[in-house]
Amino acid sequence: MIDPTILRLTVRQLLGQRRSIVMVLFALLPVLLAVLYALENDSSDAQGWTAKVALGGLVIGLVLPFTALVFGTAALGQEFEDGTAVYLLAKPIPRATIVFSKLVVAWAATTAVVVVSAALTGAIGLSGEPGEGIIAGFVAAAVVGSLVYCAAFLWLSIATSRALIVGLLYVFIWQGVVVSLFSGVRYFSISQYALGIAKAFITAPDDIFDPRLNVAPAVLFAVLVTVGATWLSVRALQRWEIGEAT
Amino acid sequence: MTQESPAVEVDHVSRWYGNIVAVNDISFALNGGITGLLGPNGAGKSTLLHMLAGFLRPSAGGVRVLGEPAWQNPAMYRRIGLVQERESVYPFLSGYEFVLDSARLHHIAEPEKAALKAIHMVELESAMSRATGGYSKGMKQRIKIAAALVHEPQVLLLDEPFNGADPRQRLQLMDMLRAMAKEGRTVVFSSHILEEVERLADDVLVIVAGRLAASGDFHEIRKLMTDRPHSFFLRASDNRRLAASLVADASVYGVELAGDDLRVSTSEFASFTQAVAGVARRAGVSIYEIRPTDESLESVFSYLVKR
Repeated sequence: MIDPTILRLTVRQLLGQRRSIVMVLFALLPVLLAVLYALENDSSDAQGWTAKVALGGLVIGLVLPFTALVFGTAALGQEFEDGTAVYLLAKPIPRATIVFSKLVVAWAATTAVVVVSAALTGAIGLSGEPGEGIIAGFVAAAVVGSLVYCAAFLWLSIATSRALIVGLLYVFIWQGVVVSLFSGVRYFSISQYALGIAKAFITAPDDIFDPRLNVAPAVLFAVLVTVGATWLSVRALQRWEIGEAT
Repeated sequence: MTQESPAVEVDHVSRWYGNIVAVNDISFALNGGITGLLGPNGAGKSTLLHMLAGFLRPSAGGVRVLGEPAWQNPAMYRRIGLVQERESVYPFLSGYEFVLDSARLHHIAEPEKAALKAIHMVELESAMSRATGGYSKGMKQRIKIAAALVHEPQVLLLDEPFNGADPRQRLQLMDMLRAMAKEGRTVVFSSHILEEVERLADDVLVIVAGRLAASGDFHEIRKLMTDRPHSFFLRASDNRRLAASLVADASVYGVELAGDDLRVSTSEFASFTQAVAGVARRAGVSIYEIRPTDESLESVFSYLVKR
């Protein structure tokens, strides 16, 4: 189900991109803010600030979707853009194997960046305060959220040549505006799934961290979106047609 | 593939994009040997080649390669190779890695050996350790060909394979393709350059405006192209006297005098070009200029379509 040659090719492809370095720098932003927070403030609300603002808002709300968007769309979308997709597709490899291999690399790359960002931000933000599962919760949220986002953005990169724009609209407009205005659509927000999963590990009271989705629906929807997007990716790749410009 | 199945079978295939018809009701069957897909740019050659390679779904009709449907059939790539026109290589891979990964993706036993053999076939050993990102256009073309034939495919499809290759590389690639054809493989390549097809192809498919304008033995079609009505522009010391003399020549069927211009229509290109100097000499006329007026490839193709 996973092809080692595709794994290796994709890793080298992602590592060689300038945008990967930009994403790493971007992921350090919450860490920097946590350092400033730790230096400037007393620790009376360290738990609340770390969970809601630094980890929930910045890491899960911004760093996670943008990193996943970059790696998820580049893992295969880059090859559609530069024409190397045909090199890969003109091989007797089941399309599912290509999708799974690409997804694994995008997921691993996103997880590596976001988990480090979450762990460092959490550790510095809490500054010796009791963690009450906050760091573990957001690390788990980063791992699961990375998978769901990457699956969705990988599908987007096969389905449309404007995956980055559509992804940005989803993150900014849908998750940033629509979900905050209309509570009912929280079931269609991947960030909300990640936050719901984080809550499963956090023992701090609700005034510290209270996500909009409970754990059970968060897990259920995360699984549904991951499986659904992966299935759609395989199907789209099976029906993929070379473009005039390809 | 059964004994009866042609290597490539195209049955009433059309492909359209919205209102634009790229390929219009084309049928043909190919077996071993080299077939040239000839036509002007935008004629539909790449669309047809991509349908043969399973990368485009025919809007109507069917394509079978080695007895199997081409569309949605990745298993077919065990026995076919595709070289597309676009310069698409992974720039961070060396030439050797590029071909080796192709061999690995085909799950070939001893991929290293197969990669070296394919690189040797395109004579790129000296540059195989360099990153393909730094290759010239011709080198990229050759490394792509090596990657496409590393698994020794029965059918090789090439889209404008000689673009960017210098004359020596062109000859070398032609020799290689001829050798593959001799082994009984089917090689289909597209080109908009008549001379390339003339030098390499046993059979030719002429595609014009999405339609199959002519197909079959190249020399028969070349004769059709040569013997079509031609028009020449002439300028001589006495156009009127030359016109009167040319009318008497059997190869000429029309003469038009307009001001200082003399236009002559002939149905036999070779006979006319051989006769015209003698006719002028006998008439005591000096020819200052003579040139064909419609020698563009497009006009040749248009003629074939009208027939």
